[in-house]
Amino acid sequence: MTDRRPRRPLPKIRYLLLHAYGRGGTIRTVMNQANSLVAAGWDVELVSAVRRRDDVQFPLDERVRVSTVVDLREGARTQPSGLLARWRDRRRSRLLEEPARHIPQGEFGYRYFNRYLEDELIAYLRTLTDGILVTTRPALNFLAAEHATGGVIRVAQEHMNHGTHRRDVQKRIRQTYPTFDTVAVLTERDREEYAELLPGTRVVRIPNAAHSLDQAPADPGASRIAVAAGRLAPQKGFDMLIPAWAKLVGTHPDWQLRIYGSGEKKAQLRALIEKHHLYNHVFLMGHTDRLDDELAKASFYVLSSRFEGLPMVMIEAMSHALPVVSFDCPTGPADVLTHGVDGLLVAPEDPDALADAMARMMSDEKLRAEMGTAAVLTAASYGPDAVHPRWESLFTELSELGGLGGLGGVDGSGGPGGPGGSASVEPVESAGSPA
Amino acid sequence: MKPHAEIDEVWPRDGRIRLVGRIHGRTTDGTDGTDGTDGTDGVDGDWRLVLIRRAHPGRRLDYPARLQGDRFESEWPVADLAASDYAAVEEWDIHLSDGSTELRAGRHLDDVRGKKKIFVYPEQRVGGLAVRPYYTVKDNLSLECRSRTGGTA
Repeated sequence: MTDRRPRRPLPKIRYLLLHAYGRGGTIRTVMNQANSLVAAGWDVELVSAVRRRDDVQFPLDERVRVSTVVDLREGARTQPSGLLARWRDRRRSRLLEEPARHIPQGEFGYRYFNRYLEDELIAYLRTLTDGILVTTRPALNFLAAEHATGGVIRVAQEHMNHGTHRRDVQKRIRQTYPTFDTVAVLTERDREEYAELLPGTRVVRIPNAAHSLDQAPADPGASRIAVAAGRLAPQKGFDMLIPAWAKLVGTHPDWQLRIYGSGEKKAQLRALIEKHHLYNHVFLMGHTDRLDDELAKASFYVLSSRFEGLPMVMIEAMSHALPVVSFDCPTGPADVLTHGVDGLLVAPEDPDALADAMARMMSDEKLRAEMGTAAVLTAASYGPDAVHPRWESLFTELSELGGLGGLGGVDGSGGPGGPGGSASVEPVESAGSPA
Repeated sequence: MKPHAEIDEVWPRDGRIRLVGRIHGRTTDGTDGTDGTDGTDGVDGDWRLVLIRRAHPGRRLDYPARLQGDRFESEWPVADLAASDYAAVEEWDIHLSDGSTELRAGRHLDDVRGKKKIFVYPEQRVGGLAVRPYYTVKDNLSLECRSRTGGTA
């Protein structure tokens, strides 16, 4: 679509994340997107609202710049010297303790926000005058809607089903999302729902991409291992999965369940394992950097979540030829899985149904092998090659529309990502010949 | 892999600890084998589970082990581990013995790394004594005993 004119410099893309140094699925997929975009010649920066670790936790191309708004690491701040500095330091400490004012309490990340972080984020968002800003969760979307008004093109990523949000969050979504240039959701069901909710707002569906589909196939017939993975948090429903396992351990004592991930519910889940005497069959494996290797050893994957956006680890498991047993929770699994073809979908939050489906999977080696083969095909449409070009075309299209709109300080000489951008970027050189 | 007592299941329950496993790496003539694939004939005899107090290797407890092929099973009441001269934390190491050879109990044949933090078992309490089986950093199985007040367990 740009072949008649000299190619415009690609706009700078900034992703605003709550914690770019964390380990969540959103962070991982944003990093996958960023890697693909820089490889295609885009200038990409990840902006981390807070920083609690020294290093990013997923593979990230060194050309992707990472910056932080509020650094919360121990020792990240030097002792204030001078009256003004001490006053500022006291003020910072006080505001860090005060609850957020702009974020509704029903936002699932509400507790990570405070007045200091809000103020710093608002100040940061007000400096943005060019390029494209992608915000990645409701709280950040709300702040961007109201304060990133200096000319930057705005894309809100919405990873959750509307019905999963609390009422106060739903209300703010209706109020603020129409100001975005585009709202990007993960599943077709979500796209329909948000489009109906936000008339006149552009809502697109772009699924997250699995980081790679070139995976060692598991041999679902061979091992006696089921894998689940995710943060040890209520959302993931491991508190239902463990009692479900207790129902089938008597008939399938040679199987083990391995739950990968860390999180605040570890002690409670451990207690549940002890209560059901499953300490020889259900294992909290902790975090692993090599989930690929662990998936390759399994026989099937279990998803016990109360809700999901798009369950990426499940898709990655499928790329290893693993069949899936999953709750039909809103909204992710059913968008991906076809019941009876590449997995078994059961009534949400029903441990008995989950146990029955897992037992069926365990008892039928042929079923596992057939569904595993089908799972690979399903996963293919979530590969980086299928997904990342969709982000590129969205960004290209938006920057062309944005340029016509003459927003903010885009003067045409440097174009988006030029002089108005952050210091020390050289987008023009790399943008000249995108892959 | 050295001959050892490979642990499959650990059942701390109702004041007792029960172990289920297999003898690995014994050949028919009783010498150490290389991979244990043909080791089932070499495990006849009177095998016993032996607990050795790490700080006082002379202090031992032993219990009968039931064998079937290379499978063994044994159990004991944790109250037996009480002693009057305990430090705040004491360890006992678990072995299987036929009177001439002592095989260390452990878990070495699976793919799980970092067992100490993954295979975690419930504590059993008797009187002032709390006993928990655990895997050492070398994946051997031992017991950790904590007395409420050192020396009075």
